[in-house]
Amino acid sequence: MIAEDTMEILYERAQEEWDKIENNTLPVVFVGSATCGRAGGALETEEIIKNLLIQNKKYAIFVEVGCLGLCVLEPIIMVQPTEGLPICYGPIRPENAEEFVRRVFIEEGVWEEKLIGVMSTDVYRGLPPISKHPMLELQVRNVLRNCGLIDPENFYHYLAHNGYRGFLKSLNIGTDAVLEEVKKSGLRGRGGAGFPTWKKWSFARDTSADIKYLICNADEGDPGAFMNRSVLEGDPHSVLEGMLIAGYTIGARYGYVYCRAEYPLALRRLEIAIQQMYEHGLLGKNILSSGFSFDITIKKGAGAFVCGEETALITSIEGHRGMPRPRPPFPTNSGLWGKPTVIQNVETLANVTLILQRGADWYVQYGTENSRGTKTFALAGKIKRTGLVEIPLGIPLRKVIFDVGGGILDDKEVKAVQTGGPSGGCIPADMLDLPVDYESLTKAGSIMGSGGMIVLDEDNCMVDIARYFLSFTQAESCGKCTPCRVGTRAMLGILERICAGKGEFADIIRLETLAQTVKQGSLCGLGQTAPNPVLSTLRYFRHEYEEHIKSNECRAFVCGPLISYHIDPERCVGCTMCAKACPVKVISGKRKEAHVIDQETCIRCGQCLRVCPAMYSAVYRRSGSRVRYEPIKERKKKTG
Amino acid sequence: MNVVIDGKTVEGRAGETILECALRYGISIPHLCTHPALPPFGACRICIVEVEGMRGYPTSCSTPIAEGMVIRTQTEALRLLRRNILGLMMLEHPSACLVCERRDLCDKYRPKSEKVGATTGCHTCNNKEVCEVRELSADLGLAEIMVAPNYHYKPIERSEPFIDRDLNLCILCGRCVRICKLHQGKSVIDFVHRSSQTHIGQAFGKNLHEAGCTFCGSCIDVCPTGTLSDRYAKWFGRPDRITETTCIYCDEACALAIYAVNNKPVMAKGLYDKWPVCVLGHFAIPEFLNSPQRLRTAQIRVNKVLRPVTTEEATQRCAELLKNHMGKNFAFVCDTSSTLEDRHVFKKFTQEVMQSPYYFEIVPDRKGYARFTNIPEEVKAVITTGSFVPQELRDKFEVVISLDIFPSEWTKTADVVCPVAVFAEVSGTVLDKDNQIRPLIKACNPPGEAMPEWFVVQQIAKIFSPDKWKEYQAVEEITYELGINTAKLNLDRETAPPASQNLKERREWFKGHKIEDYVSGLVAVRNFEEGQDHEEKAEVRLEVKIPENPLPFMVLSRRELVPNTYEFVIHAPAIAKKALPGQFVIVMVDENSERIPYTLSDWDERKGTITLVIQEKGLSSRKMISVNEGECLAHVVGPLGTAFEIKHYGTVAILGGCYGIGAVVRLSRALREQGNKVIMISEARSHYMTYYKKELTAVSNQFIQTTIDASSGEKGHAIDALKRLLQTGEKIDLIVAVGCPFMMMITAEETRNMGIKALCALNPIMLDGTGMCGACRISVGGETKFACVDGPFFDAHLVDWDEVRDRREAYSTEEIQAVSYTMPSTTLEGEHRHHHCSCMERG
Repeated sequence: MIAEDTMEILYERAQEEWDKIENNTLPVVFVGSATCGRAGGALETEEIIKNLLIQNKKYAIFVEVGCLGLCVLEPIIMVQPTEGLPICYGPIRPENAEEFVRRVFIEEGVWEEKLIGVMSTDVYRGLPPISKHPMLELQVRNVLRNCGLIDPENFYHYLAHNGYRGFLKSLNIGTDAVLEEVKKSGLRGRGGAGFPTWKKWSFARDTSADIKYLICNADEGDPGAFMNRSVLEGDPHSVLEGMLIAGYTIGARYGYVYCRAEYPLALRRLEIAIQQMYEHGLLGKNILSSGFSFDITIKKGAGAFVCGEETALITSIEGHRGMPRPRPPFPTNSGLWGKPTVIQNVETLANVTLILQRGADWYVQYGTENSRGTKTFALAGKIKRTGLVEIPLGIPLRKVIFDVGGGILDDKEVKAVQTGGPSGGCIPADMLDLPVDYESLTKAGSIMGSGGMIVLDEDNCMVDIARYFLSFTQAESCGKCTPCRVGTRAMLGILERICAGKGEFADIIRLETLAQTVKQGSLCGLGQTAPNPVLSTLRYFRHEYEEHIKSNECRAFVCGPLISYHIDPERCVGCTMCAKACPVKVISGKRKEAHVIDQETCIRCGQCLRVCPAMYSAVYRRSGSRVRYEPIKERKKKTG
Repeated sequence: MNVVIDGKTVEGRAGETILECALRYGISIPHLCTHPALPPFGACRICIVEVEGMRGYPTSCSTPIAEGMVIRTQTEALRLLRRNILGLMMLEHPSACLVCERRDLCDKYRPKSEKVGATTGCHTCNNKEVCEVRELSADLGLAEIMVAPNYHYKPIERSEPFIDRDLNLCILCGRCVRICKLHQGKSVIDFVHRSSQTHIGQAFGKNLHEAGCTFCGSCIDVCPTGTLSDRYAKWFGRPDRITETTCIYCDEACALAIYAVNNKPVMAKGLYDKWPVCVLGHFAIPEFLNSPQRLRTAQIRVNKVLRPVTTEEATQRCAELLKNHMGKNFAFVCDTSSTLEDRHVFKKFTQEVMQSPYYFEIVPDRKGYARFTNIPEEVKAVITTGSFVPQELRDKFEVVISLDIFPSEWTKTADVVCPVAVFAEVSGTVLDKDNQIRPLIKACNPPGEAMPEWFVVQQIAKIFSPDKWKEYQAVEEITYELGINTAKLNLDRETAPPASQNLKERREWFKGHKIEDYVSGLVAVRNFEEGQDHEEKAEVRLEVKIPENPLPFMVLSRRELVPNTYEFVIHAPAIAKKALPGQFVIVMVDENSERIPYTLSDWDERKGTITLVIQEKGLSSRKMISVNEGECLAHVVGPLGTAFEIKHYGTVAILGGCYGIGAVVRLSRALREQGNKVIMISEARSHYMTYYKKELTAVSNQFIQTTIDASSGEKGHAIDALKRLLQTGEKIDLIVAVGCPFMMMITAEETRNMGIKALCALNPIMLDGTGMCGACRISVGGETKFACVDGPFFDAHLVDWDEVRDRREAYSTEEIQAVSYTMPSTTLEGEHRHHHCSCMERG
């Protein structure tokens, strides 16, 4: 018999706690203080606001919440007045704090300049609802539903939002039914490979080992990816509830959260949340008298990218050097300490919680036939609105870029979208109507990955992009298997040569051979996917490689050694700025006469380009047959 | 369970891997990192196969078989992928020799590897003859290296006891790491760093002893390349005899395999998968038995002096001496390191022939130490089989007959000394600590006249009572008489031998001799144990300020040009004043050094300096390259040899290889100054072995670089570039080849019918360098010439190249012996070597 009554008492307490915020007698200030907010100065802003309020004898309740995902607008501060709906502002930097206090608290008005929206679905008192904010309108915030809205360190806040109801339901319906529910939801692993979650669970469940393990993989290592961090910082309990459900279903006795040490805030919030679970009987022996015992331990990773790979992660937890081992045997048969082990990504577990809380029938309304649900993406690159977005799977890439992301910076031409982190590939602009789901991305030569999405424009050199991503995987190769250790290095060597203008046509063939060898021959996912950036750029942007080799031309003007600097005699007025700035003094010319750069001795540092006044823009660049001038900008008229 | 491998249905065993199953059925799948004693690892990716229903290419060494599995091991795709993967592996291994077109010829001309420091190719690799990578590359048909190899420039590590490590050869198969974990239960060594910087090492840069190494040597046994090597065994080449026998250093009686070359023990290995053997079993047998200090001939005392005699004379003397000491006047003292057969004969001799009750068998203590003191008063004559009796008791005896292996105070004061064969040199049986009988099987020959102990005693007995003593023809007869029917090797140990897990448990004495007196590596171990291991081990290269007036033969600069090749600038004004192109000098590094000839690469009359390019190839050159800047060489004699005739030849092609690249700088300049067109072709194995490009370009009209693996310049040897040049219509009037004998030999052979004169610079072993000793004798066109005075330049087409090679090999055994000892770091690296020299006094 499950001790549901103890939970009911907790839910009552939680409701009381949340009511304090809902029916507030003092204004409540929600400060978005996840790592992204803190980087924007959220804590400083908070401190200044607090002090100013005290000085002005105003009082308010402060709640530090997670991230809303609107990175461009951080720090975000939401104010819930004693009457009416909460209003969201951003960015409120420390220097804006004073004005913010004046306008919002002293004058008790709305600071429209900084207004993001009101927490409502419709226009409220003439204010736009936040859900209609262009960046949020297309989004479906399921996994991120609590992020930015509840105090992640407050257990009752989570409980008050259906917290642990999914786990309670699991205990009630039994493991068979849970597995059936997950199967029905069509949930696939969010770590990158997209393996059906129910299948993985049933493999481990069907083994007859005395002890099984469940591991939450929070070793988010892709450069520029922060999906998991946001969930852990903003709503850690939703992940831990998912662990309880998964652990219960497969019959695991112990759980581990493998989280990288570079996430101190996520780690702290996880620690607090786990402590709260123990305090309230949600972890330990015989949880809620159900007979199910489960303990969760946090294991900090030391920052090796490869430890995000299942088997390397297991080896790392075991206290060894994090190196992958061949599969089979798969971890579901022989994983941690040789016992059956299920490893799930943070986001997968958060989805599990949702599925159990709201039911598979509700869940399947999002996504496509083969890719159900929503997926979070870290949107970055040459895009207007960067941030953490959650979209239903299956919507076209174009919508994500242009509607959610607001299009390309400076309205330049989009060239490609890089998805899937360093293991992913580049999708060219003419394929932007591609739906974002597992199969379509794989078919296009990229992968879903854990959710990195980097937008590239005409100023990005694709050879350089391939070189950049490969240099990352190359450096992060654990060094165990030959193809990955040596192959990535050899490929990187060739790419560096091409970027330096020393490539030859045979290098493209070599690159392809090496890429295939590394892809087919490597031991783990890191090596098998490491050539993807090279293969996909070779597939869609082969002409850029050829231009680099054939005519020493970098069309994006990125690869330094392929760019030469010249002075247009028509534009040059002989201001001597460039000649003074030149570190090797190879620019000659008399004052008030056109200057000339000696190409033989020029070291191509670009200093002349940077110092040439924008009103003349006389310095131009040449790469192969291409010439690029900087626009002439009228000198700003002095305002009196 | 049934599986299908390459269309053949075979029955697999539960739990075995695809590779194990395939090998059991004689289906070969190339593999490398896997090892029968070790758990699967899956790192090298060579053993990949295709399995129906499985994604990608699983490794057969790690994938367990399953019912109905359909496996393909030899598809075209697999072969290509394997070759490409091996090609990648070879980017981190000196691999040019593997793709060399003259590989077979090279193997034929120089079958043995050379004793270099850093290995940069197969023919200088100690592992050449048993190399798994070589086999694999032949199997997979590796023919080219895709991109330029990545040489790691790691210093060779040879200051550890017993173990040499050259990480530039390492392919990171992880066998050593895994065997260490398995055999020692810990990771003394492990992977360090990641990506292409990954290498094998100890944590925090500790030395092996600090890291907890017990020197069990298991890592060397499993290394498929020349990375880890047994310093003593490494240059002996492929063993011609392997014998399985028992170790008798202690009563653990481990089963060992003794490897012998020419009936000389060179290496020992444990025979267990699960356990290691101890430091003595692995490293202390060959060096101990081969020690130059071993007693080789019998000796008898004549007028207070020991004189060498034949064994017959010695035993005759024994009989004479013992005649007057029958009964209780005689005692026989042996210890349990003698075989059961030996001891049976000893006992029988004592009781039946000498009719004495005094037969003593000492049981050594935990350290192998055996001492015998309570000798009965009436004993006046004694036979001992080791130096067990304290020297102060010597005067109690009128007759001492010593059967021994090494000279000691005891043998020096004995009346008769007979050298005996022991250990791996004899057959017989021994008892282990559990009283099990273990076999001892003869694996090698004893030195000199040494005979088994029982045999020597039987000889004495035969003289005493020719009628009564029943002569044993062979040791087996004694075994039979003892009633021993079976003696099995100790192969199923349940625990590891204690000393293999704890270095302190090792035996230190054998037959009254301290083992470390004869095994150099143990001295290094002892030094570590006595606390010297915490000192900074980094190579000390002091910042030296060269004085304005340098001392004679002072090294003014020393730099490593490429792996294993060094450039020295030496202060020698008198030589610099007289030197002519093509001449050489003879160097003695210290007073006890060999005299070695080096070609004068360049010199500066004004500064009074000479430049030498030196390759490490044996002990003397190793001494040479360890000389620091500011130190002085003992002697430099020169200029020697006949100078190259500098005149107008027309177009001269100079071919340089290895050290020869350095040796031709001045020659080239002189020829060009005479109006010749000099085409300089420099050959190297790979891009990281090329040097002096700038220098040679400056002194020639045309410079061509070739590399065997095509990683820099043209592909092939220098002669290939020359041939291509001739094809383009270039007219060559003279060819000069300077390099190793192989390079000069192929140049000679391949230009023989071109009608162009070819000269080569010969570098045989030399002693005096003035035409007196004849050590450098060679045959040119059927005539005997002395390279030191008639040379070094000879007509390459007339040289007897096989003779050149054979004469260079003449002292190879001695040379190996010389480089084989563990050099305590104080004698080679770091320590000053001229104690009389005033350069010691520099601030």
